[in-house]
Amino acid sequence: MKIAVLAKVVPDYEVPAGDFELAGNRAHARYTRMIGLYDENAIETGIQLKEKYGATLGIVSYGQSEDVPILRKAIAMGGDSLHLVLGESDDPYVIASNLKIALEQLQDVDLVLAGQQSADLDRGVVHGVLAEMLGCTFLAQISRIESDQGRWTVCQNHESGSRMLQFSGKAVLSITSSPENVPRIPAVRAIMAAKKKPVEKLQGTDAPPMQVEEVKVEIPKLESVCEFLPFEDMQETSRMLLARLREERYL
Amino acid sequence: MRVPYWNIDYGFLIDILAIPALAVFLSGLYGHYRKIRKGSERLKTRSDKLPWKFGPVFVRSVLTKGILGTVIYRKFYTGLAHGSVFWGMLVLGLGTTLAFANLIAKVPVFSGSFNRWFMAFGLDLAGVCVLAGLLFFLLRRLFPPDRLVTPRERSGFFPMACLLAVILVTGFLIEGMRIRASAPELGSFVGNFVAGLIPGSDHITSYHRYLWWFHGLLALAFVVYIPYSPMVHMVLAPINTALADPRPGPKMGVIDFSRFDDESGEEMPSMGVAKLADFSRKRLLDFDTCLWCGRCHEVCPAAQTQQPLSPKMVMATLAGFLSANDFTDDSLADAIGVDALFNCTTCAACMEACPVSINQPKAIMKLRQNLAMERSELPELMSKAYNSLEQRRHPFFGTGSGPKDWQKGIDVPIFAPGQTEYLLWVGCAATYDERAQKVARAMVKILSAAGVSFGILSKPRCTGDPAKQIGNEFLFTEIAQENIAEFDELGIQKIITLCPHCFNSFTRHYPELGGHYEVIPHSVLIGELIAARRLVPEKSDESICLHDPCYLARRNHIEDPPRLALEAVGRLVEMPRSKRESFCCGGGGGNYWSESSGVRINQVRAKEALDTNTDVIATACPFCLLMLTDGAKKYTEDQKVFDIAELIAARLNLN
Ligand code: SF4
Ligand code: SF4
Repeated sequence: MKIAVLAKVVPDYEVPAGDFELAGNRAHARYTRMIGLYDENAIETGIQLKEKYGATLGIVSYGQSEDVPILRKAIAMGGDSLHLVLGESDDPYVIASNLKIALEQLQDVDLVLAGQQSADLDRGVVHGVLAEMLGCTFLAQISRIESDQGRWTVCQNHESGSRMLQFSGKAVLSITSSPENVPRIPAVRAIMAAKKKPVEKLQGTDAPPMQVEEVKVEIPKLESVCEFLPFEDMQETSRMLLARLREERYL
Repeated sequence: MRVPYWNIDYGFLIDILAIPALAVFLSGLYGHYRKIRKGSERLKTRSDKLPWKFGPVFVRSVLTKGILGTVIYRKFYTGLAHGSVFWGMLVLGLGTTLAFANLIAKVPVFSGSFNRWFMAFGLDLAGVCVLAGLLFFLLRRLFPPDRLVTPRERSGFFPMACLLAVILVTGFLIEGMRIRASAPELGSFVGNFVAGLIPGSDHITSYHRYLWWFHGLLALAFVVYIPYSPMVHMVLAPINTALADPRPGPKMGVIDFSRFDDESGEEMPSMGVAKLADFSRKRLLDFDTCLWCGRCHEVCPAAQTQQPLSPKMVMATLAGFLSANDFTDDSLADAIGVDALFNCTTCAACMEACPVSINQPKAIMKLRQNLAMERSELPELMSKAYNSLEQRRHPFFGTGSGPKDWQKGIDVPIFAPGQTEYLLWVGCAATYDERAQKVARAMVKILSAAGVSFGILSKPRCTGDPAKQIGNEFLFTEIAQENIAEFDELGIQKIITLCPHCFNSFTRHYPELGGHYEVIPHSVLIGELIAARRLVPEKSDESICLHDPCYLARRNHIEDPPRLALEAVGRLVEMPRSKRESFCCGGGGGNYWSESSGVRINQVRAKEALDTNTDVIATACPFCLLMLTDGAKKYTEDQKVFDIAELIAARLNLN
């Protein structure tokens, strides 16, 4: 069994709103870079499958050489090999075409896992486009995966419940976070070993981008409006607070 | 003149029997030595020259803690009882040696005033002291305080104390019979008294003879049994104190990770400790020496708030593995409990209380290192802090503050190489926590007012100390090395810290990684600036109690400077537990990021502070500030907890 996990290096996804700023329509370069939140869930899911079914696990990324030290974490967590396609595009079609190069190089990948959406652009489209390009099944929001006699059984999470699905053949799955796939902390020995692992760097391709133009990028301005509620009766104040929160659509 | 071996034929046989007894005694001690030698490292001797240090032996410690037993007297009655038994036995031992010297070399100890005042009066008095002390200990074993029996009691003390008491009583009876059968003896006040109680009998000399042999054989049995019983502490405790580095705190040192790079070695060394054989020899000696007295349990903030950790339990569990000669079982952490190991706040209260200089937190931290680095097992919140440290180089995950938020509206100079004197090291808490940011702002105000040449780093950094406390030495080393490289580049030599954890890291661990700086905690610098009248805060009649941060008072013996600073602005009131005996806020050892349930350490400490009824609770550590602020919320809505810098800055008249 061969599994590939797509991992993207993104700017810190926990930068407080008040501190967030753009430079050239993207997050400022001063923010620390790290593997995306859901991508780590996907890596964890991949490692669990590797441990359970003896699969090999390749980590595939599209980005720049500077991302390599960050991506090594995926190897330290349990990935077997790291493949980086070099490129800088933000276009989902270009990214998918480039990731396809690495997947083809890996040959016969049974399952491609990816975080349900990247932590920077939050689009959640690349894996769908990639599945289309690879001509295989695409399922989103998957939290659990099992394999039995060539068939996959997966659990698809929804806001209000879950669905069990079965399919056979190759697939691209977008992985959501669940209590079962909390990313593990790599052991120090694994971190040390990961630092020495060779990385396969592949030249990216200039695939035609989607015919979409980015006109403007805006981030909400942080505003704080302070409103004091009268405090005489605690229960009454709680009721008022609840009503106000609903009114403002926070709840 | 008293006749040695009066009424005893072949009395010298007891001296001859002493030879095999001594051999068994020494072989028992050798058994301890052999076990301890299985430790992974030899004793590391500090290279710096210290007065009273010869090779690995800290002479002052062995004299004070080892022989005089100074720590034992912190519990007055136990200390008194222990002192009576210890010194009494020493005098009795000396008496027996002198009697032997008389036998073989005719040393005239049984005549004149020496006989009266030492051999008769002195030895009787010593015997009474030992008996009184033993009576105290026996009663205490029958009605034990909680610390002796929680989590479990050490067997072996009671029978040995009974045996010793029987030896003493039979000794007095022999003396009484001898006097009854001969004549009263000057100075032997117990012997004469006992003689008065013994009825006259023709068989008295026979009884005396039998009892003499019984007494002698029992005494030999006692000596033989010492190494196989808890009484071995008589030998091990002085050795342990002699070899314990007297600097305060656990002295964790740093790990040289290049050792783990060589994969060709037959057996990879373990990161931290998984099995007994991974512990150093000194740690094994610690486990062997532990008396299970529970003094550490009594002061441990975790144990006192009913969390799974008890340092005594840790020592007792490890001692169990040692006595079973089980050096390869790698389930030590599980035997103690993973939760318990993460409960430790590294406050070192246990070390401070231990009468025999045991380093409990080091053993705990070594086991924790293995959990963190080899098994990747961390409690949930700690793992989030760890991840944040690893990714962002600060542990305040989910913070709502940007790195420069604390500087809003104030002018903070950036450290300029060759021009600025001090680096103001803000640290992670004062950068990323909104409450603690006020401390950094106050300190900037103070330093500017005093005209100190200072600057901050353009990009905030963390010392890496939280990683070390969580147990991940590797991450700590990485972060520390990055910091050292930056300091070297900027030519930083002097550092002001706002956080005692940073101070401790810079002074204790950075030098071992090549970073040598002059570091001063902000509370000390403030005290110095006030003393030099570079700061003249307004004095008020506000009452202030100071919560001593463990990493200042206990782990670095900095107790008075913060007090001097506070006395300049108010009236200082001491809490029941203060200075080196301060009770932890609960935030150390990475436990700022822990989910505690039930009684919480910070609430216990906040209550103790609030009970002083002072206007203000002061501290000198951002983590203590946050923990106590949170703890006090249970009891009051008033904001009463402040950092020293905030209190001083508020009283500076800058016109
Ligand atoms: S570690 Fe020290 S204080 Fe704790 S039980 Fe052992 S001897 Fe007593
Ligand atoms: S260092 Fe503090 S928390 Fe840890 S065992 Fe000792 S007393 Fe308890």
